Formats: sequence, structure tokens, C-alpha cells
Amino acid sequence: MTTIAPAPVPVRAFVPTGSGLSFGGELRSEWIKLRTVRSTIWSYATVIVISLGMAALMSAALDLGGNPVPADAQATFLAQAATFGVFFGQLVVAVLGVLAISGEYSTGMIRSSITATPRRLPMLAAKAVVLFVCTFVVGLVSTVGSSLVAAPILAGKGVTASLVDPDLLLPLLGGALYLALVSVFALGVGAILRSSAGGIAAALGIVLLLPIVLSMIPATWAADLLPYLLSNAGLAIFGLDLGSAGLEVWQNVLIVLAWVAVSLAGAAVLLKRRDA
Amino acid sequence: MIQAQSLTKRYGSKTAVDAVDFTVQPGRVTGFLGPNGAGKSTTMRMIVGLDRPTHGSVTVNGKQYREHKAPLREVGVLLDAKAIHTGRSAYNHLLAMAATHSIPASRVKEVIELTGLESVARKRVGGFSLGMGQRLGIAAALLGDPATLILDEPVNGLDPEGVQWVRHLVRHLAAEGRTVMLSSHLMSEMAVTADHLIVLGRGRVIADAPVAELIGAATRKTVRVRTPYAPELAALFQSADITVTGTGTDLLEIVGISAAEIGNLAARAGIALHELTPVSASLEEAYMALTQNDVEYRTGGTPDDPAAEHTAADLQESVR
Repeated sequence: MTTIAPAPVPVRAFVPTGSGLSFGGELRSEWIKLRTVRSTIWSYATVIVISLGMAALMSAALDLGGNPVPADAQATFLAQAATFGVFFGQLVVAVLGVLAISGEYSTGMIRSSITATPRRLPMLAAKAVVLFVCTFVVGLVSTVGSSLVAAPILAGKGVTASLVDPDLLLPLLGGALYLALVSVFALGVGAILRSSAGGIAAALGIVLLLPIVLSMIPATWAADLLPYLLSNAGLAIFGLDLGSAGLEVWQNVLIVLAWVAVSLAGAAVLLKRRDA
Repeated sequence: MIQAQSLTKRYGSKTAVDAVDFTVQPGRVTGFLGPNGAGKSTTMRMIVGLDRPTHGSVTVNGKQYREHKAPLREVGVLLDAKAIHTGRSAYNHLLAMAATHSIPASRVKEVIELTGLESVARKRVGGFSLGMGQRLGIAAALLGDPATLILDEPVNGLDPEGVQWVRHLVRHLAAEGRTVMLSSHLMSEMAVTADHLIVLGRGRVIADAPVAELIGAATRKTVRVRTPYAPELAALFQSADITVTGTGTDLLEIVGISAAEIGNLAARAGIALHELTPVSASLEEAYMALTQNDVEYRTGGTPDDPAAEHTAADLQESVR
């Protein structure tokens, strides 16, 4: 059996040099991670295409029956057509939000991520920021693009509005904001459950099924709770008021933020506590 | 330098790592050796903070891994080939890892060239072979030009050329004054790569010594003895230091006593010997001897398994 002679002991131990860990670096890393998997591209493309398609379909199918829309309601009309796709978009970004972290668990990537960011929470925070910003931008492209698609069709039916009209602009921003918040909420769910299938089921269950189930319960408490559900409050941000309780837009934003906060807080505690 | 102090990890009632103490010194290659399930990977995962120790602590250059300002420059780690998103290309994986520490893209290209991944760097990792995945894992470990390298089974899945390359790489890195720790369950691999060995068995350190010393101590000379009076001869060796193995009706393998002494004892007892051959145990056998009581997953032996071992006392029992 041959053995190589022991390596000569160097004069001194190797001292590492160079740049260190920073939150800016974390953000760049998460941005690279998000844009370099196909599911992101597909999801965002789907959100935009569905939104544009729904806007075209809605405005084309609109039959006013010859009655003119009052001038002060025209912007809201256009806003509804432009944000209709958000109802479907929320499901897509919920799936994307779960996959942004569950994909790391299912492939083992999370171990690489955590060795690069051993304090763990900055990684989750950077993921949430990047996902929020990207989804917000995509959401804005969807809603503004949809309003541009719907505007000429509705103009033919006597409905016109300026893009800077607050009755149009605020719902467009609100729809984008809601999409961004749903994706971050789903990120938290994915981090808690650490599984793509489980995370997607849970996130879609909360977004889609919970309002339906609750509205079928013939009890006052169930009806009272409806406006505080994630999707009901979220859709109300831009005027798709399903479980109306007469809440202001800012109140609905706060409700959605509370859902996001709970989801991220649960994710943070478990991420810190559990073995990776 | 890596220092573990009464490092313990329990999963439920199962103790994976049991109050382990060791120090991994810079400037040499330290082999982390042990059978499957001995706690090697768990220990490595605790070093880089993936698993939280149940008790005790482990530090890298005096600090817990997560306390370092530039973790990837402090420790480069290859845990297993499956720590990479399969939907991302090798280049983008390394780029994302590098970005956290603001490591430039030029360094990413460097490690890709160093590990010979140029031709597949733009391909998605999901289609990589085990060996390519391993090279990518090593590339990721080298990304931060780290002072400490922790490589779990680095030669797994590599072709002979790759094995050779890893061997030279780790020796080169250690010669630069870095701390290099690599695990393996192959003693032969360690014998040609490592300077120092820490042997784990069932979550405990069962040896911690320079390779040469360990080989010397572990490869106790075996003497093969052929005699028609095997039970009678076996009965002569009652000392706890002497192990007698029956490998046939008239064949014994005796460890712990020299051939000359066996011959003398046999002559005094009037036992005829037909063969008396000193056999040098191979490294592999030495390792088996060292860890035989600490193997967690053992393959079931057959009743007439020639390797089935009996102590002298057992053998006497079966004869009576």
C-alpha cells in the first residue's frame, strides 16, 4: 500500500480575503434564482396573457343595451374590465410563490442557499422582496396592458377614461399590489410546508376554496368572516367586491397585509428552528 | 481549523452523533472515515449550520459558521450532489451562489474551468450525470476561495481520472494552508489522500490519528495456521488480546500473537502444525476490524460464512 508523504506544513494558515455577505448580494442572488427557472417565465407570461385576454373578452362581450354609461362611472367600468384577469392571475402567482421556495426543498437547493446564508432569515426576506417587486411589475404590466386592450373596444361602446383618472389608475395599481402580496403570502406557505404539492394545495385552498366553503355555511359568524378572507379582501382592493362589508380600500390592503405577515412570520420561525 | 466539542445530534430516540470531540487542523487533509450511518454527514451538516446540534458545539476558525461575515469565503462545502435546483443551468446556479457574497462572474468562470464543466455549464443541472453533479458541487465549494473545505464523499460517481483529480486538488489545497476535511467510507481512498484520519462508528470517534500511525496500529499481523487439531490449538489462546478465527475445519486465523510464539506454544502442547503463515492484513481489513462493532447496517452473513468470527472461547464451546 502506497501512501503519499504528509503535505509539508505551510508557514501559516490560509487567510480568506474578498467581499462578504450582504443584503444587496442576497437580493441579486434571489433575482438570479427567480429568473433562471422556467416556471417563473411561464407563470408570469400566463398572468399577462390571461389578463389581456380576459380584458378583451370582457369588453367585447359587454352589451350595454343602448343605455349610455354615466360619465363618472366610465373609468370604473374600464377598470373592472382591465382587472378582471387578476382573479385568475392570483391563482398563478400563488403557485409561483410556493414554487419559489418549495422547489428549493424538493431539489435540495435549499442546503446550498442556507450554507451561503447561514442566518437564513435574510434569504427569506430577499426572496420575499424580489418576488414582491417582480410580481408587482408583472401585475402592473398586466393591468395597464389590459386597460390599453380594453380601452379601444369600450370606446366603441361609448365608454372612455383617461389612464391618470384615479378611478382607473388606483384599481390598476391595486390589482398589481394584490397579485404581488398573494405571491409573497404563498411563499410563506411554501416555506412552512416545504413541499410543492402540499404548498400549492394549501395556498390555492386559502385563496380559492376558503371563500366558497365559508359562504356555504349558513351561520352569521361565517358571513361576518367573509370580508376578512385573503382573496375577498384582496379583490376588493381594486373593486371586485365579493363579500362586501363596506370596507375602505386601505382597510382591505391591511387585511391582506395581515395574511402575508402571518404567513411570513410562520415561515421565518420554522425556517430558523428546523434542520434544513 | 474546525473544532467540535461534545457535539451531539439526536433524531428522536436515535443518536446520530454522540458527544463527539475532534479538531481538524489546517495544512493537511483530514479524512473523515466510517461506515454508512456512522454520523459523518450529520457532523458535516452541523459544522455548516444546516442541522442544529442537540448538545455541544462546533466552530470553524473560532466562530460558529453562521457568525462569519463571509461564510462562503470561510468554508466551501460539498454535501451531496443533490443540493442544486435541477431546473437551473450550472452557470446560473454558481452565479446565484456567488451573488450572495458579491463574488464576481469571472470567479464563476474560473471554477467552471477548474472543474472541467465548460461544455455543460449552460445546460440544466437536471440532465447531469452523477459525476458532473459532483464536479458542480466541488465548483460551488471552491467559489469563495475558502479557507476551509468540507467535502462529503467527493469522489462518489467520478471516473478514475476524476478521482485522481480530486486527490490532487485536495492535497494542493491543504498545501496552501487550508483546512481540508473529506469523508469517505473507503479506507483505500483515504490511505492515498489523507494525512490524518478521524474514524467514526455509530456516532462516536473510534480513532483520531495520523494515517500512518492508524494503519500501523490497526493492521495487526494475522497468522494463518493449518492443523488437524484446530480446537485444541484454539484452546491455548485464552488471552483477550488474541483473536482466533476459524475459517475451515482445520484452518485458523490468529491475530495478536506472532507466528514464532504460536509455533512454540503448539510444540510445547504437542500439536502438529501443517502450516504457519504470517499474513499482512490489508488496509480494508484493518478498517473492517476497527469498525466491525460499529457498523449500523450489516449484511446478513450465511451460516457457513468463512468470515464468521469466533473467539477462542466460542470455538471451544462448539467443539465440546
